[in-house]
Amino acid sequence: MRLLKRYAAIILLAISALHTLSLPLVAEEMDKYIAIQKEGTGNIPLVLNTLDVRSKNDADTARSLDAVLRAGLEFTDIFTLVPAPLNLKSSVGNNRGGVNFSALNTVEAEIYVGGKVTKKADGVTLTMEVYDISGSKLLFTQAYTGGEQQLRALGHAFCADLIEFFTGKSSVFGSKIVFVSNHRGFKEIYQCDFDGFGVEQLTILHSITLTPAFSPDGHYLAYTDFSSGRSKLTIKNLASKQSFTVANSGIGIDPAWRNNSELATTLSFEGDQEIYLINTQGKVLRRITKNDGIDLSPTFSPDGRYVAYVSERSGQPQIFTQAIESGAIKRVTFSGNYNTQPAWSPTGDKLAFTMRENSGALNIFVVNTDGSGLTRLTENSGNNESPSWSPDGRMIVFTSNRQGQKKLFVMSATGKNQRQLLRLAGEQMQPSWSLFTK
Amino acid sequence: MKKEIGVIIVSVLMVMGGCSSQKVATNTSTPKVTPTSPATVETPSSKRSSTIKRSVPATAPQVQQMPSGYGFDQWQTGPIGDVFFGYDSSALSTEAQEQLQKNAAWLVSNTNKTAVIEGHCDSRGTSEYNLALGERRASSSKEYITRLGVAPSRLDAISLGEERPFALGTGEEAWLKNRRAHFIVK
Repeated sequence: MRLLKRYAAIILLAISALHTLSLPLVAEEMDKYIAIQKEGTGNIPLVLNTLDVRSKNDADTARSLDAVLRAGLEFTDIFTLVPAPLNLKSSVGNNRGGVNFSALNTVEAEIYVGGKVTKKADGVTLTMEVYDISGSKLLFTQAYTGGEQQLRALGHAFCADLIEFFTGKSSVFGSKIVFVSNHRGFKEIYQCDFDGFGVEQLTILHSITLTPAFSPDGHYLAYTDFSSGRSKLTIKNLASKQSFTVANSGIGIDPAWRNNSELATTLSFEGDQEIYLINTQGKVLRRITKNDGIDLSPTFSPDGRYVAYVSERSGQPQIFTQAIESGAIKRVTFSGNYNTQPAWSPTGDKLAFTMRENSGALNIFVVNTDGSGLTRLTENSGNNESPSWSPDGRMIVFTSNRQGQKKLFVMSATGKNQRQLLRLAGEQMQPSWSLFTK
Repeated sequence: MKKEIGVIIVSVLMVMGGCSSQKVATNTSTPKVTPTSPATVETPSSKRSSTIKRSVPATAPQVQQMPSGYGFDQWQTGPIGDVFFGYDSSALSTEAQEQLQKNAAWLVSNTNKTAVIEGHCDSRGTSEYNLALGERRASSSKEYITRLGVAPSRLDAISLGEERPFALGTGEEAWLKNRRAHFIVK
């Protein structure tokens, strides 16, 4: 993404210019679409036209980019891709920029997206245009330039801008998912792009390696590993490859980051299992929990002022929240007698977690952080566990054995559109979605 | 409803299967004690594999004496026996306490030996929780033995959670074998 160069010269109408020229109009449009998204009244119907090319030589590149754009827009579950009408490019009727809006008005779509691909010695330029169909208004246009090998990044840069325009928030494009896989024998840590592409192995420990979590800036990876013979927490600086292992005796499991320099994990060096705040060198900064029994799986509110975790203090594992400064504790889950794996939503208002139901099945639920609004997300599909929110809070990645072995799946934050994220041999588990890389 | 009855029948059969196989195990005549040279030389890698990998002992038995009964099965052929736990529990049953007393007695009279106590869980529940639960099983066993006069420094309690099950498969027969504190004498 960093390698992309955006050329202002070929931007027909820069976003900033649009904002200054017709700010009320755009603000109104944005509000409208943000409102649609908030109400959850459904996806935005969108026509994505095939990309124009100047010469036949560019056709393959355009086709690859078409596929990237289509897959990218479909993945996010914000848009419904509506097939383009046949006479889209006719010069008759309400025509603007070569696009026949009369024809577009005959299909049930609100947004038209078209663009062109040009190839020069310095690389590929993708120029995209986004129109509001009903008013045949140009909403924004943007050009993206990069090398022939960066088509995915080019296409995704546009998808990211488009989604940011409609939702007012950053999107999942550019984010990473870190997870555990045993497809090479040992449980090791891997990462992939938000959409399952580009799988990369991050640990080679030939042991058992579990519960990975990236720091918010992506500089550190924390995980539990057994290479010393027992479960220890390791914090690895991904740039320097240097890693620190928490030296305390006893267990070190399931870390979560509070910010780029502090994380929490369960340690048992004082006898009982408690959650501690530590720094990236593994030094204990503060003890968070103080009670007999298991305290496990911390997850922080986006502002870092609260932590949620699993505690057995009421007899069975349930989820609690605690204010870091005051220490005030609230129980969040009351339904079910085995609730674990809490994940605080990036929007701050919800916790996703895994309930072991009376049937024995594991399923994912969300609940408001005050304990209200318990909602089931998975049902009748094997065991579903380890929820982790996308950085924009719109999606959840999780583990499911609905097809037999444990694999990674994604769904919308309301449980819709559940599908397999990546196809890899063996079993994958404990996914953790990174925050924004920007 | 039919399905549920089916499940019940299957589980009853499984439990019965479990009982009969246990009987067979206890009725087996104790094999002759074959004095073997103590364990093969331990390299760092074999040391690690002894704590991390699970293998059915197919090679020469590394035992001074072949015990039987509670605490001893195909995965426990060392001089001291394993202890078993109820679902989602690290509480020590009467049987578990009796076994731990025997283990403590053996350790008291073999002062040159140390033991690793591995806590294990069945595959139900979530893996992070099971790692914590496994540690509690190992530490409650360690605490009990310590109170009987064995120095804590001779006992290393670790957890493998649900990561290295003994019996594969689902159902109580497998699960109960996997809910254990496993003793490895060093």
